[in-house]
Amino acid sequence: MASENILVIGGGPTGMEAARGIADLGYKAILVEKRDRLGGTPDEAQYAALTPDLRNAEEAIGEMVAAVTDNPNVELLTGTTVTSSEGEVGNFKVKAVQNGSEIEIEAGAVIVATGFQHFDPGRETQKYGYYEHDDVVTLVDAEKLLKSGNFVRPSTGEKPKSVAFIQCVGSRDRQIGNEYCSKVCCGMSSKQAIEIRQHVPDCKVYIFYIDMRMYGYWENEIYWPAQEKYKVNYIKGMATEIIKKGDGLLVKGEDTTLRRPMEIPMDMVILAVGMEPSEGTKVVADIFGLPKNKYNFIETIGGPLNTVSTEKAGIFAAGACTGPADLEDSVSSAGAAAMKAISAIRKIGVPA
Amino acid sequence: MGLDLSINKYADVSYDEKERLFEEAKSDDRWHHVLYGCYECGICVAACPSARFYDFSPRVIAQAVAREDVDLVYTLMNDSVWDCSQCFSCDRCPRQNSPGQIITVLREVAVRNGLQTAKDALEGYGRIIYKIMSTGSQVSPDMLQPDAFPDWGGHVKEISDNLDVWRKALPPETLHTTETGWVVDDKTIIELYLIWHMTGVMDLIEGIDEGLFMILVDVMEERLEEAGYDDITFD
Repeated sequence: MASENILVIGGGPTGMEAARGIADLGYKAILVEKRDRLGGTPDEAQYAALTPDLRNAEEAIGEMVAAVTDNPNVELLTGTTVTSSEGEVGNFKVKAVQNGSEIEIEAGAVIVATGFQHFDPGRETQKYGYYEHDDVVTLVDAEKLLKSGNFVRPSTGEKPKSVAFIQCVGSRDRQIGNEYCSKVCCGMSSKQAIEIRQHVPDCKVYIFYIDMRMYGYWENEIYWPAQEKYKVNYIKGMATEIIKKGDGLLVKGEDTTLRRPMEIPMDMVILAVGMEPSEGTKVVADIFGLPKNKYNFIETIGGPLNTVSTEKAGIFAAGACTGPADLEDSVSSAGAAAMKAISAIRKIGVPA
Repeated sequence: MGLDLSINKYADVSYDEKERLFEEAKSDDRWHHVLYGCYECGICVAACPSARFYDFSPRVIAQAVAREDVDLVYTLMNDSVWDCSQCFSCDRCPRQNSPGQIITVLREVAVRNGLQTAKDALEGYGRIIYKIMSTGSQVSPDMLQPDAFPDWGGHVKEISDNLDVWRKALPPETLHTTETGWVVDDKTIIELYLIWHMTGVMDLIEGIDEGLFMILVDVMEERLEEAGYDDITFD
C-alpha cells in the first residue's frame, strides 16, 4: 500500500518551507529534526539579522516555525535521528530514533534538507590563529556578539576601534579541498560591517577580499551602502597571517590595487568562514544511498534546470545540503522539492 | 610602476593637518556628487589620456578618497592631482564617480591652503592667468612668438611679423585685436573684476603667487577707479 506522506529530514529554513508547502497543498509532511527544536542553523548559531534585508532573524525564523507548528498536515518529530531506510518511491520504510526509542516512518517520498556547517578555521591554510587569539573570531561568533547588542572585543570587553574581515576562509582553496565559493560570506560580512558601523560609529571597518561576490540586488542593497554610506573599506588582497602585537593584532597582507604590502594593526579580526556539508548531510546521504560530490554535498542530477532531484527516484534534496546556498536559494529549492515530491506520489497513483 | 610613496617631494605635516585638508574637500558641495564608492576596476585609467604618459592613475585618486586614506590623499594632493588634464574622460565610471572632478576639488583645497606644491605646479601658468584675469580673454595672438613656440615651426615667425594684417583679415571685427583673444568690452571686464573680487578668487591668487597678485591689483584698481568703483580695494 503506497503512502502519500512525505518525509522531510531537517528542521531548518529549507525543511520547514518544504513541509509548509506540502501541507498547503493538502498532503501530509512528517518533519524530522535531530535537535529538540526547529529553526536549523540560524537558530542554533543565534543569527542576529538575516542577509540581505537585516530582518530580525529570531522573528523571521519564528514565523517559519509557527507555520509548521500545530499544523494539522505537519507531523513534527523533533529530537529524532534517521537511522536506516528501505523501499522505493511510493513506499519508503524509514527507521529513526526518537529520544532513545526506535520508530518507523512510512513515506511515499523523501526530502533531504540537512544543510551545512560552518567551516572550522582551525583547518585554514593561512596563519590566522583562530584558536590562539581571543580577538580573532568567525562570522558566527560576530553574529552572536551583534545579537547580544554589545559588540566588544572578546579580550577586553571594550568596543573595538578597528575591525577587519577576511573573506574566503575555507572556501576557494585547493589546498583545503573546498574549491567552491560559499556564496553567502561576502554578503554576510558586508551586512555585519554595516551593523558594526551602526553599533560602533568610530570603529574603522575593513574587508579584505579576493572578489566581492554580491549577486543581484545584494549589490545595491548591501555592497554599495556598506561602501558609500557606512564607509567600509574594501581592500582587494588576502591576509596571510595574523600576529599578536601589544594588546592588538597585526594583519599582514597585500593591498593589491595600490601595489603595496600591508601590515595593519587591528583590534579584532572576523574570519568569513564558508560552508561545508553538515555531519547530518553526510550521514543521511549514506543512509539513503545518495551519491555525494567530491566536497561531500549531496549530488543532484538535473543540472541548472532541476535543482532538487537525486539519483534515487522519490528522494529529493534541497537547500545547503546540495551545496552552498543562501536563504533565497534554500526556500526556493524547498518549494521545488515539495512540488516534485508530490508529483512523484501522484504519478504512482496514475494507472499505466 | 606602482605608487612610489617613499620619496616625499613636499613638506610632511601632522596627521591632523592632513585630516583637516581632507575634511575641507569632503565639505565641498560637489563632493557627494562626484564620489560614491570605488570598485577599483580601472575603467577611468583605461580612458585617461594622462595615464598613458605619466605615472598617474585616476583610479588611485578615487580609491584613496573612497577609502578615506588620509595619508594617501595628502600625498596625491601634493603630486598626482597636478598630472590630470581635466578632460573628464574618466566620467564613464559605473559607480558614477568623477575622478576628474574629485581632482578639481582637491586642487582647490591645495590652492586655498597655499600648498607649496600647488604654487610650484601653477608657476608656469602665471602668464596665462595674468592674461585672462587682466584682459578677460585667454591666450592672445601676441603671445605667439617664434622664441616662445619654437616647436611650432617656421611659419610662426611669418605670422607674428604680420600679426596685425592677419587679424584684420578675420571677418568678425571683435577679432581685430592682437593683445587679447578678442575685444572684451569695458562693462564685461569691470564685471569680471568685481566677480573675482567678491568671490575670493583674488585671495586665492594672493595665496598662490603674491607677485602676480600685485600686478593684477594695479591693473584692476586703476580700471575700476576709472569706472567709478573707487572704493574697491584688494587688500
